[in-house]
Amino acid sequence: MVKLTIPAPELMYSGHSACPGCAPALAMRLMLKGLGPRTIVSVPACCWTVVATPYPTTALGVAMLDNPIESTGASISGLRAAADALGLTDVHILGFAGDGGTADIGLQALSGMLERRTNAIYAMYDNEAYMNTGVQRSGATPLGAWTTTTPVGDGARGKAEPKKDVMGIVLAHRPVYAATVNPSFPEDFVRKVEKAAALRGPRFFHIFTPCPPGWRYPSDQTIEIGRKATDCGIFPLYEVEEGRYHVTRKGGSLRPVTEYFQAQGRFSHLVPEDLARVQAQVNADWQRLLRLESGT
Amino acid sequence: MTLMVMSGNSAQAYAACRARVQVIAAYPITPQTSIVEELADFVAAGTLPAQFVKVESEHSALQVCISASALGARTYTATSSQGLLLMHELLHWAAGMRTPIVMGVVNRSVAPPWSLGADHADTMSQRDTGWIQFYAESNQEVLDTVLQAYRLAEDPAIRLPVMVTEDAFFLSHTVEPVEVPDPSLVDSFLPARDARAVLVPGVPARLGSFTGPKEYVEFRREVAKAMERVPEAFHRIEQHYQSLTGRSHGGAVSHYRTGDADAVLVTMGTMTTTARTVVDEMRAEGNKVGLAKLRLFRPFPAEEFRELARRTDRIGVVDRSFTFGAAGPAATEVAAALYRSSHHPVLSSFLVGIGGREVTPNHIREMFGRLLAGKGPETRWMDLPPPAEEVAHG
Amino acid sequence: MGATIEIRFHGRGGQGAVVASELLAQAAFLDGKRPQSFPFFGVERRGAPVTAYTRIDDHPLGIRTSITTPDIVVVLEPSLLRTQPVTDGLKEDGLLLVNTRNPAQELMIPVPARRAVVDANQIAVAHGLGSLTMPIVNTAVLGALVAASGVVSMTALDQAIEEFVPARQAENRAAAEDGYHAVRMVEANMPFTPPVPRAVGPTPQLPEGPMATLSSELIHTAAWRTLRPVVHLEHCTRCNFCWKFCPDDAFQFDEKGYPVVRYEYCKGCGICVVECPPRVIEMVEEV
Repeated sequence: MVKLTIPAPELMYSGHSACPGCAPALAMRLMLKGLGPRTIVSVPACCWTVVATPYPTTALGVAMLDNPIESTGASISGLRAAADALGLTDVHILGFAGDGGTADIGLQALSGMLERRTNAIYAMYDNEAYMNTGVQRSGATPLGAWTTTTPVGDGARGKAEPKKDVMGIVLAHRPVYAATVNPSFPEDFVRKVEKAAALRGPRFFHIFTPCPPGWRYPSDQTIEIGRKATDCGIFPLYEVEEGRYHVTRKGGSLRPVTEYFQAQGRFSHLVPEDLARVQAQVNADWQRLLRLESGT
Repeated sequence: MTLMVMSGNSAQAYAACRARVQVIAAYPITPQTSIVEELADFVAAGTLPAQFVKVESEHSALQVCISASALGARTYTATSSQGLLLMHELLHWAAGMRTPIVMGVVNRSVAPPWSLGADHADTMSQRDTGWIQFYAESNQEVLDTVLQAYRLAEDPAIRLPVMVTEDAFFLSHTVEPVEVPDPSLVDSFLPARDARAVLVPGVPARLGSFTGPKEYVEFRREVAKAMERVPEAFHRIEQHYQSLTGRSHGGAVSHYRTGDADAVLVTMGTMTTTARTVVDEMRAEGNKVGLAKLRLFRPFPAEEFRELARRTDRIGVVDRSFTFGAAGPAATEVAAALYRSSHHPVLSSFLVGIGGREVTPNHIREMFGRLLAGKGPETRWMDLPPPAEEVAHG
Repeated sequence: MGATIEIRFHGRGGQGAVVASELLAQAAFLDGKRPQSFPFFGVERRGAPVTAYTRIDDHPLGIRTSITTPDIVVVLEPSLLRTQPVTDGLKEDGLLLVNTRNPAQELMIPVPARRAVVDANQIAVAHGLGSLTMPIVNTAVLGALVAASGVVSMTALDQAIEEFVPARQAENRAAAEDGYHAVRMVEANMPFTPPVPRAVGPTPQLPEGPMATLSSELIHTAAWRTLRPVVHLEHCTRCNFCWKFCPDDAFQFDEKGYPVVRYEYCKGCGICVVECPPRVIEMVEEV
């Protein structure tokens, strides 16, 4: 028999409509492995609206509700209110939204859900642009990235503004639990989901989800790019429980960010000076994270 | 049965309480606010064991109701004016999802300029979102219609959301006697929701879904067919309610002395009360006038107006809002209904009470007077001075 | 006044079928024609089947429907011949142009139309257009289309590529030129038998709301891939990384714990090849 490091049951069906090498598909697969079959997931307009396949089929082995792009936070508040009213005490309520639907147009509803202490999990799968509409910049698109609305040319060098700190916004609401997860580290991913599942109150996941067409890399590199993102310090893995930080992957010193940037076409126009600035920022952010963890 | 003096907003809250709603989404807006305040008190006092969700916008209020309803809960929210407009996208969602939400709407004018007065532009601009719409004349009618609305919304053959509207201040903040039915009576009229086609934990299903052109039209047709079943279902529901309470508000269109009338005014909401009194006065003076109160606006009861057109030669439709380039929205609906009739009475559109202006007995008399004098068809702003050429020529 | 020429393109998301239909329209315009081009308004996914249309006429077109009886069908990816009804409605005196390197096998399609083939993958790769797994073949195929049909002039196509292809214009022009010379007309190797009309089922009974309840495993996504993973089990360590990292859940295990690819769902992304610690999985070309 085979020894598995993550749960065997599959609650995401094959036959879905994700692009080859899609990390958001893996993110859903791992999230549902951690939460189990008595999950109700609310999905706004995002890649997963399409990935979940057209009527009359569904790609999820759980109950799924569609909601408009801006209202996921409110939707999971409504689902929890109904579950409480109907005596459904053993269900997990999950909002599963993209970065545009969370960091931009859905931020108000997310803030409302966190502030009113809805007993639910909100997961943002972050592919760092509006991918379902064909790669337009969002507030979560990183500095310098090419998208169709941040083109590269003589007068423009990709996105001119840095990425919005969604974890920082979420943590300002003091959720009971918030964590970063990455499908390249499935054991860490599922462990955090299982931990969150045992808690009550507002919980948040920031999921790092590389996108082959949108980030311009070959589909077989998805896991490798996700791994580089964490090991270069671009996307550190940590969790915050009742305000206490815990960095869950520390592999000695960080790898240079060039390894991450050079693997993706969306950054191909960046010059060494650009990457040096990114490296300095990543180093500073990493030190800040370690200080938050040590409480100094 | 308890007789209490209460506002229209209290009537909304008492009805939601008697309906044993399970999830309430609350966000304030003048002049709706006291509805959710009163519901908060009911919940805090333990009178109503509901989940009271304090949302950060009307948009989220309706999303909370949609999602809660999708899981099988009975839901209520209330709004007004700008708040209803912010809900616009979700109004379509609620109807397309077939969620039987009942929502109280206090009809208020739409900015700019800011104004708090009664005006039907807020709900009229949402008339094609797939919601059933009732307009109430009195606080009693507000309370009774909310209870009837739950029966209608949750009817297995309907399953559509309903708004029950009331004129700002003329009902929302006017107190008058209202009979509140006992809980046991309401329970026998309105049992717990028979939730169908809802999500069930542990059962894989996707509610909402997406389609190509292939099935989309079928789903829209299903909504349209459900709307077509509303008049018959509502008639049955109101008869049942009447058998329990002795009260009826007259169905989709309530007729008053229209049987032999030479001229009939069609009214909505609070102006109806004043108009009814004027009808009696003018009848006493020998004028054969009548009144048709339009209570159910969506689905529009077109057949009732074709029936009315067989009996009368002059109809004036009184609207508290307008449709640019045409007439009042109710007037355009009546005109559309009569196009398929072999009887084509003179049809005038009167715009009155916009932005919270009073609709006075003099207005009503003037409108009847114009109809009886053979004027029209015309579209006339009753609150404004007559057109200059009319003044010049007498 | 000439009749309208209707061309239907079939490709996969990422191959450039939609751009091909637009370029053809631009070229026709440069030839003095009144063209029209549009994609099928579906949801585009990299690798998923895509359809696009071009109409060409001497006069303004008076129709805005999709093309159901094309004069020409252009297939950018040969595996679509097996999985998509690409030849539906193709006129008897029409033309079927297929991008393939294996004409004998791929053209056993019972249509009476003339057939042309071009190995556009090889041309695209030679000019560095796209990747080995997903070459961007549209300009090479358009060159072949010009040679096989004369529907636009090569001068116009060349100019359209120069003006409207957003990047690597020189490589794309060279690819079109190569496609023009590489196209070959082939004989059908199967006699034509008229297709049997597909049975049209009754309109499905809709439930009481927009509720989807069937599993997406009814949908086979094998047609999305051009390469398939093959596991060489003799060196497999049963680490299950292939299963763990598969976005399509396309792996299961046999009773001994060895991975089994569920080929009906594998989209050929290649993650399993890269992530396999002992490197015992390889991608092989679909045939």
